[in-house]
Amino acid sequence: MPGDPIQHLLGPTVGNGARGEGDAIVVERLEKRYPNGMEAVRGISFCVRAGEVFGLLGPNGAGKSTTMGILGTLVRPTSGRAIVAGHDVAKAPHLVRRRIGFAMQEVGLDALATGRELVVLHARLHGLSRREAARRAALVLDLVGIGDAASRRMSEYSGGMRRRVDLASALVHLPPVLFLDEPTEGLDPHGRAAIWDATERLNDELGMTVVLTTHYMEEADRLCERVAIVDRGRIVVEGTPQQLKRTLGAPDAVTLEDVYLHTTGRTLEVAA
Amino acid sequence: MSSATWLLTRRTLIQFPRNPMVLGFSVAPVLMMFLVFGALFEAVKQLPGFPTDNYFEYLAPAAVLMTTVPGIANSAVGLATDIQSRYLHKLLTLPVSIGSIMAGRLLADGARLFVQAGAVLLLAIALGAQVASGFAGALLMLLIGALFGIVTFGVLTANLALKTKDPQAVQAIFPMAFLLIFLTTAYQTDEQVPSGVLRAVISVNPTEYVLQAMRDLMLTGFDWGSIGLAFAVIGGLTLIGLPLTIRNYRSIYS
Repeated sequence: MPGDPIQHLLGPTVGNGARGEGDAIVVERLEKRYPNGMEAVRGISFCVRAGEVFGLLGPNGAGKSTTMGILGTLVRPTSGRAIVAGHDVAKAPHLVRRRIGFAMQEVGLDALATGRELVVLHARLHGLSRREAARRAALVLDLVGIGDAASRRMSEYSGGMRRRVDLASALVHLPPVLFLDEPTEGLDPHGRAAIWDATERLNDELGMTVVLTTHYMEEADRLCERVAIVDRGRIVVEGTPQQLKRTLGAPDAVTLEDVYLHTTGRTLEVAA
Repeated sequence: MSSATWLLTRRTLIQFPRNPMVLGFSVAPVLMMFLVFGALFEAVKQLPGFPTDNYFEYLAPAAVLMTTVPGIANSAVGLATDIQSRYLHKLLTLPVSIGSIMAGRLLADGARLFVQAGAVLLLAIALGAQVASGFAGALLMLLIGALFGIVTFGVLTANLALKTKDPQAVQAIFPMAFLLIFLTTAYQTDEQVPSGVLRAVISVNPTEYVLQAMRDLMLTGFDWGSIGLAFAVIGGLTLIGLPLTIRNYRSIYS
């Protein structure tokens, strides 16, 4: 489709986001203990403002994905409370699902479907008309750089293409809140750049609230307005990347990886 | 039907032709078995008291069940594949009820079984069999066969898929379906079954009562008593299987 996909997505409206209008997500003393006794999340609390890009950083197994699973209504919390887009994830998960998009760490796609069919199906399940679903699907597939391959079955897609289709399906209904769980894990530089660019534009131009998990500090530094470092199920430090780096010295000379090392006593690789 | 259920039914229906091996292999063995058994046991029809002089006519209802009962397990294989690939989890983040996800798959597979079993019945007709209850009775027979497949092997394999999340585990249980059908009067009448123990087993196998209704439709016409009993069996099995399946579906949420 010619032209800028984001501008077409915006259409006559100004998007679904509500930048600066209170908190999009409120998490209070969230805990998750699995039946095998593993405590994945131990009393996490944080808030994400509407229109903000917020990052949960930490190694694999830190509790980031479980937290995302709870916020995305896939995992039931053991205790605590999480409000997403105005609704409690435990009490009204069906209302939360109407207002979120979730691009998952382990990409769950339908191998027999084409990229376009999958995105259109998700749009229709979100209540869009057939015509609008087709229009939006074309736009978001262009946005993530899959437009030319949209008619191919996903069994033929590379890992990076599958991730991008997953992202397209998560944002086709223009949710106010978008969850990206390790969005660039395993992607080549080109695929990573495409996801970063799309994320920035969705936030800048549509005002979408974005929560992402990553263990790539460079990614967090580039995309996130605020980050929380998660270690062993707890948030150990929270703030803007600049604030966190300033605690150790000049922000230009310090990386978020240094902050992680300083706050947890371990490097990311050792922790993972 | 809700719009979500229809969209998910349509998704599965569109994808059937993309997996022709599954379509072909779920019905080809039944067609072969029908022809082979029909030839092997044809002499049975000469025994006194045998209800028809065309053995294919007698065998057709069992062949329909042999299509629908093991055939529904492909639905569970699809479910296990969706769980393993985590596509089911993706669906669960959408505003779609578990009921719609379950119904979408079952309706599509029910329609597939209806068509496949219809092909088996057409083969029987091509071999000289007649459906005593006519076109409406044939449709009812196919409906009973498809529903029975769903509430027996469909429920069993769906729960296996939900528990193991492994398509291979579901495939491994396929032969069990044939046991359900072999332990009936599928190939010979009750009087011809030689063992008293076997007759006792057949009498407690719910498949027998469903098969009886289907055979009545094939050989004699509408016997509402046996049809009612078949639907009672299907209803009873639904009451047992549905809550169990819904509970296991919900366990997907960790």
